Amino acid sequence: MRKKIAMLLFGVMLATSLLAGCGEKTQPTTSEESGELIGDITFWHSFTQGPRLETIQKVADQFMKDNPKVNITIETFSWADFYTKWTTGLASGNVPDMSTTLPGQVVEMMDAEAIIPLDDVIDDIGRDKFSEKALGEGEKDGECYSVPLYSHAQVMWYRKDLLEAAGLEVPTTWAEFAEAAKALTKDGIYGCSFPSGASDMMATRFLNFYVRSAGESLLNDDLTANLTSDAAIEGIKYWVDIYNNCSPKDSVNYVTLDQADLYYKGKTAFDFNSGFQISGVQENSPDLLDYIDCAPLPKLNEDDPNYGAETSNIPIVVWKNSEHPEICKEFMKKLYGEDTYVEFLSATPVGMLPSISGISDLESYQSNEIVQKFSNAEKVISEAVELGTALGFDDHGPSVQAGMLTSQGVIEKMFQQIITNGKDVEKAARDAEDELNKLFESVQ
Amino acid sequence: MKTKTKNYARWVFVLPALIVVTVLLIYPIFSSVFYSMTTKHLIKPSYEFVGLANYIDVLSDANFYRAFFHSIVWTVASLIGQIFVGFTAALAINRVKHAKGIYKTLLIIPWAFPSIVIALSWKWILNGVSGFIPNLLVQLGICDQLPQFLSEGNIVFLTLIMINIWFGAPMIMVNVLSALQTIPQDQYEAAQIDGASHLQQFIHITVPHIKVVVGLLVVLRTIWVFNNFDIIYLITGGGPADLTTTVPIYAYQMGWGTKLLGKSSAVTVLLLLFLLLICIFYFWIIAKWEKEDK
Repeated sequence: MRKKIAMLLFGVMLATSLLAGCGEKTQPTTSEESGELIGDITFWHSFTQGPRLETIQKVADQFMKDNPKVNITIETFSWADFYTKWTTGLASGNVPDMSTTLPGQVVEMMDAEAIIPLDDVIDDIGRDKFSEKALGEGEKDGECYSVPLYSHAQVMWYRKDLLEAAGLEVPTTWAEFAEAAKALTKDGIYGCSFPSGASDMMATRFLNFYVRSAGESLLNDDLTANLTSDAAIEGIKYWVDIYNNCSPKDSVNYVTLDQADLYYKGKTAFDFNSGFQISGVQENSPDLLDYIDCAPLPKLNEDDPNYGAETSNIPIVVWKNSEHPEICKEFMKKLYGEDTYVEFLSATPVGMLPSISGISDLESYQSNEIVQKFSNAEKVISEAVELGTALGFDDHGPSVQAGMLTSQGVIEKMFQQIITNGKDVEKAARDAEDELNKLFESVQ
Repeated sequence: MKTKTKNYARWVFVLPALIVVTVLLIYPIFSSVFYSMTTKHLIKPSYEFVGLANYIDVLSDANFYRAFFHSIVWTVASLIGQIFVGFTAALAINRVKHAKGIYKTLLIIPWAFPSIVIALSWKWILNGVSGFIPNLLVQLGICDQLPQFLSEGNIVFLTLIMINIWFGAPMIMVNVLSALQTIPQDQYEAAQIDGASHLQQFIHITVPHIKVVVGLLVVLRTIWVFNNFDIIYLITGGGPADLTTTVPIYAYQMGWGTKLLGKSSAVTVLLLLFLLLICIFYFWIIAKWEKEDK
């Protein structure tokens, strides 16, 4: 009998142990009396590259040393994985306490009521230090739900040596760009790769450059898709022409890294990217570092003003599920401390530009070798940051539709249909526009 | 009293297994069926019951039928290729007298790698700019310019099928080889004395002995290959222009791209029903073979 009872207990314990992992862990709370921070938080970020990853970990370690009863667990995901993680985790409550994110996703998070306002953090850091436009990307009903951590913008990157050898000037218009790209497509070098992999948003980005240069938008005022405007149709034809004449054929499936990799390895003469291009080239082809530089995005006409097509103010958010938002907020403030912030930005110099004023003039920031070497690039990108917005936010501010322009791969598939199946441009644009509008309706 | 305790103990011991089966198998199936009749959205908390509306939407979408056709081609071509290569390799190794283990180990290597490693390796090997195979073909003078295995509309699906054959054939080989080794040698000796040719021996001795094993392998591989997602998604993402989009990728894009979990669930339920029908058909054939053998 005893033996049976023991076996019965063993069976129950076995079953219970299976369920044990499903339980929520209990967390100690912050001591309100002493003001001492107590508790565990999880921070998801997408800084998967070495120096940035190390810097954030270093700040977290220091924060935990200063607050011995706080534990910060850092988990890193690529941007694509992060999106899958939080969208699937939201329903089960499996989201972190705080995270980095992309501007387009902040709108979705606000829409799903998944994050909390951070106006108190912004005020403590200094609201006037942030760009109003950058704060506006995370604003809803007068409250700011995200705090920009760093900024960058898309500009045109080129190879000085290749242009010089071909006797070409840096192109300033789209026509000059196409001419130069075609001329430089030889001897294993491609003028410019046009990426349209459907699991990324690169083709949307490239089309947006052209459309913005014409002063138009990929969204109408009523937030429906606009792929059939004259500028959009011309833009589609322009990039298909670039694909046919200057791009590796595999680029029809390229995503961000495939595209950047070609420029990093000296296989393309032109590319469009932010200052992250520098660290990529430095890591892959250090010999080419002397031959790369950037310029503003090409314009339609020579005398058009410079414009910004896509600025990314990469923000941090605090999740509603967090049991310790106060720890998250204190940790965020720590990240913006002058020395810490400069050290963080220096992890990818010129790639990450400060989102708060008063940093770029500091001696500690300016003394970085790469910042000095690429002072022109920093100037060009900083100007583009000021002029641009997140993709689709341009004339209409943050919207779920803007986020969906880049997350559904509809424009990429449209380009693939034209390139691979020879679909008529106007028809492809109309079909893609209808598909996007149908998707927009599904979330309203 | 004694009997009652004994019954409890029995249930307690199967409880862990019951929980695992319920959580990992029954719950996902029923939740998929339930959500397929709702407007469930990945990041929205509320949803409504819509009956069969999602099924009607999916079944009236031309892209679903295109993906379904691709899945059929993908499964049939991959299976035929895997069985042909695996079977041939098994017959060859079965005749090897020395170092059979080394050959077996070498041939099983593709199956031993995680699919992400395989997908990324092939993507790198076939890269249209710096890939080893395209550049080798140009250097050998076989091609004038770099062949675009992963973007050329005419060959991209065939390329994926070849990769899948390379990946899946070892599994067929190992199983067929095991079955071959169970065939009594005296049957071959008797057939030789009777003057049977190699082909006759193969048809009348080898095939009857291994057909049930091959049949079961076909059932399993049909389900796995039809549901295969990772290799295609990691190499082409279903592109270009949906030329390599199969039903699992279509369902994924629906669920994670558009976040319409209701519709995505409807696709997976349809997929489940189709595979169940296929399995019923296969098992009917296998049962018939077994009956014939008896």
